Amino acid sequence: MRFPLFAAVCILLRTTVAVFADEAWNVDYHYALLGEPQEETTFFHQPNPTSKASLIYTLSKRGVVGAVNPRDGSVVWRQLLSPNLTSSTDRGFLRAGEGQDTIVSGYGSQVAAWSAADGRLAWTVDTHGPLKDVEILELSDGKIESGAKDVVALSGGGSPAVQRLDGASGAVKWQHKFQEGDEVYQLSASTTEVFAILLHKTVLGYIKIRVVSLDPVNGRKTDEYTLSSEKELASAETIISVGANSASPIVAWTDAAHSVLKINIIGTKTVSSYNIEKQDGQPVEKIRIHAPYHANSLSHFLVNYQTATSHWADIYHIDHTRSITQLAYSLPNIAGQGSFSTSTSDANVYFTRITQDELITVSSASHGVLGRWTIDNLGLVSAPHEAIVPTHTVSELSVKGDSVSAIRTAVLLSTGDWVLLRDSKPVWARPEALADIRSATFATPSVLEDFQHKLDVETHRNFVGAYLHRVKRHLEELKHLPSYMSSMPQRFISGFLGTTDEGAMASDSFGFHKVIVCATGNGRLMALDAGSASRVLWSRRAVDLDSSESWQPGLSSRADVIVLERGSGKSRQTFNATNGDPLPGIPDTHDLQSGLGVQYTLRDGVLEATRTDKANAGSVWHFTPMADERILHLVPRPVNDPVASIGKVLGDRRVLYKYLDSNLALLATANDASTSAQFYVLDTITGSILHSSAHSGVDLQAPISSILSENWFAYSYTAEASDASTKGHHLVVGEMFESLVPNDRGGLNAATNFSTVQSGTDPFTLVQTYQIPEAISKMAVTQTRQGITSRQLLAVLADVEAIVGIPYNALDPRRPVNRAPTKDEQMEGLVQYEPVIEFDPKWFLNHQREVLGIENVMTNPALIESTSIVFAYGLDIFGTRLSPSFSFDILGKDFNKFQMLATVAALAVATFVVAPLVMRKQVNTRWQFT
Amino acid sequence: MDTLKLKKAWELALAPAKQLPMNAIGMYMTGNSLQIFSIMMVFMLFKGPIQAVLNIQGTFARLETEGNKSNMLMVKAAFVGCNCLALALGIWKVNGMGLLPTTRSDWLAWETAREPLERAYFVPS
Repeated sequence: MRFPLFAAVCILLRTTVAVFADEAWNVDYHYALLGEPQEETTFFHQPNPTSKASLIYTLSKRGVVGAVNPRDGSVVWRQLLSPNLTSSTDRGFLRAGEGQDTIVSGYGSQVAAWSAADGRLAWTVDTHGPLKDVEILELSDGKIESGAKDVVALSGGGSPAVQRLDGASGAVKWQHKFQEGDEVYQLSASTTEVFAILLHKTVLGYIKIRVVSLDPVNGRKTDEYTLSSEKELASAETIISVGANSASPIVAWTDAAHSVLKINIIGTKTVSSYNIEKQDGQPVEKIRIHAPYHANSLSHFLVNYQTATSHWADIYHIDHTRSITQLAYSLPNIAGQGSFSTSTSDANVYFTRITQDELITVSSASHGVLGRWTIDNLGLVSAPHEAIVPTHTVSELSVKGDSVSAIRTAVLLSTGDWVLLRDSKPVWARPEALADIRSATFATPSVLEDFQHKLDVETHRNFVGAYLHRVKRHLEELKHLPSYMSSMPQRFISGFLGTTDEGAMASDSFGFHKVIVCATGNGRLMALDAGSASRVLWSRRAVDLDSSESWQPGLSSRADVIVLERGSGKSRQTFNATNGDPLPGIPDTHDLQSGLGVQYTLRDGVLEATRTDKANAGSVWHFTPMADERILHLVPRPVNDPVASIGKVLGDRRVLYKYLDSNLALLATANDASTSAQFYVLDTITGSILHSSAHSGVDLQAPISSILSENWFAYSYTAEASDASTKGHHLVVGEMFESLVPNDRGGLNAATNFSTVQSGTDPFTLVQTYQIPEAISKMAVTQTRQGITSRQLLAVLADVEAIVGIPYNALDPRRPVNRAPTKDEQMEGLVQYEPVIEFDPKWFLNHQREVLGIENVMTNPALIESTSIVFAYGLDIFGTRLSPSFSFDILGKDFNKFQMLATVAALAVATFVVAPLVMRKQVNTRWQFT
Repeated sequence: MDTLKLKKAWELALAPAKQLPMNAIGMYMTGNSLQIFSIMMVFMLFKGPIQAVLNIQGTFARLETEGNKSNMLMVKAAFVGCNCLALALGIWKVNGMGLLPTTRSDWLAWETAREPLERAYFVPS
């Protein structure tokens, strides 16, 4: 009975593994993120100089240049500048020339120009040194070219230099090299000169600011002088601001205690000095200067002082004739954090101040308030009583007469959300904090957890008990009937019309609405709903981090409790998964069973295992790679990895028994000297190697990824070109069996339990290699509740920005080589081995979407067996639901409820109408004589 | 008269055996796939002999006399034997269809995975 059904299912499976068109935009979700925008590199700009419509451009902390439509917050285009996201500490530069249709980015040592409208690369130049600054030349020397404005770039490193790059082609027009010794700091360009700011270290360890002015036409040095007296600057950190590409650029600095502000108009030698008064007795923590970037705007600027509890600002005007700065007026001290932004309209300059509850616009010329709006609700999810503080803002406004008629403000909040306010109403919010997820975990909300528990009870009772329990459960559920009835019309309509009302968490009997809790780089915990991730369920600050501080959190979950571990074995916190409330008490690390427990850790390039029981603690084994070898990564078999069938049924109904051991791990090592990679399957109790393979001629720069699940493992690497083969990506799949003889359970035979310490048996491993068209940067495997459903290998293809789900059938190492499959093998669904696996377009889980910078993929079982929940993070967030064996336990969207109901109704009508007719006819035939 | 009746009874008893080749060809022709048609044929194949054996007394009642009682026993035994042959054909067919739990895979669901006595946990450093 069993086998033909199984064969039939197998045949079905092979044709139905794909993303369905009607599920494509329903079950999956995608956040195209940029990362948190940086203050200096975010601005409004018109991509088309002839039109007024502008986009918001930003170069984010994650090294992504992008344009966002201020109307709806959608990404118009984006480009990932650094492929290696995690290691970048670079801030980067982004500049747009006035009236230009290109924007210029500087990141690492690359200067690149992008088409502002669609993000196409215009040109890119390598400056052979880390970039210190990039500016656009706004020359007013009479012969202004109508085309692209030129770019000046300052690069540091071994040979610091200023380069002028042609705006249209990126060709170097001139280059000015500095002598070594001084550290190059920044660049500033006025309309007539280019100034390079160098930091000169004195003998006593203090810093002097040296200004070198260059002729923008030929790059020759015209002047050089040194600012600031001895013992003023201890480090470059107290230099507040250099430049702005305005008519008269300034350099401003302060002392370490923030007591004196010194300002110099670059090009003059006079230094104006202002005392900073303390307000409320609090020391000033941060000083920021906001100045317009346009060359033809008024040379006014704003100095913003922030203390721990309040902030205020002074506005200064630059007197060109006397080359001095003058304090024009001050903005009052307001409690709490605030942020300022500069906008220009023709020559006029406006400053916009945003506090936690107010938005105020003033003109730079006078202190009269041009517009004032009250912000009452930003519409964001945050913990109760948490103050949402604006971190930085950019704004664009239009002025009619004496008041601001409209203002758009893009503000980055302390929660990591980027919100656009039209006047004071939030138009959209982008959860940019999610672009930097350090750790994530699935959790089951308490409602679902209860339901799951009830189902578990039923499976573990005897038949009668389970039935009674079910009846009782259904009776209990009757109390939800009124609410169910009231929601019935809505459900009916949505089900009828096929609109996607996926249901809330409370009524989720399929287990799709799991909670995904993410720990983000800014020290927050954010929770998403795996069923409908369009909203953030809750968000709360978990730790207080400085702007420069980073953390490596570890998240795990037990049912509806989230455990956050900060660093290794450090402080541990617990949270409720449903609402994010912190919970008292700390759960046990491991619920170890009796008997020997071993825990193993990767530390200092050595894998070491120790006993967990206190009585005879100590090292059990350690795995030290050979000389020149380093450990790349370790993939243990998932703790929760249920397997439904312990054997594989062959075509002739015999069984190949799987080698199932929960204590397996796959270890990958690399040898840089011989460019080879080794892969070991380890038994982690004894540390013995069950299977190993070595590959020489491996490109170790390319990603190497691996996975271990059930009784099989897979890894991929990129092989260098050799005499025998060309350069290409390989995917190796190995499957382990207890014995290769059917119906044989190997050395342990029928033993019900085993200990690898006492009686180890080695698996028999079948291995097959495939050529794949793309390098795989990360692998995962689908998980279902009972492991009945066939599996898919999920592979992240970084180069094509995609995730593919490869059905295990296509990878099976038992595919017959060099011959057609026999009838029995055909029954199993095996096809002839082909060395190349082409990724079927139907395997792409992201279909039309571009998923950028994915670093990790997680899977979790839903309550129904057919479905696995997938969540991928990195830069973008992508999630979907997968049914590798087709959704056999749930009605799909293609099920036509209308047709079914219509058929039933038609039959009912027919029965009721036809029955009397037939009755009459029968009566008539008896009475009529002819 | 008794001999005539006995002759008739023998004819009746061997009738199922005569149908056997035809049934066998029919079974062979329907193939081993699980379809409604072949399932129904197999069902009929089982139903026929069992019903015949259960109604054995009725079938031979009118031919049975006091005189041929002892001979009738042989006849009945032959009748049962023939029906058993038909049943065997049915079982052969069912086996061919893969419906008999005779192989290891049929009992795989009742086999359990071996429990490891030790557990190892990976602790990320």
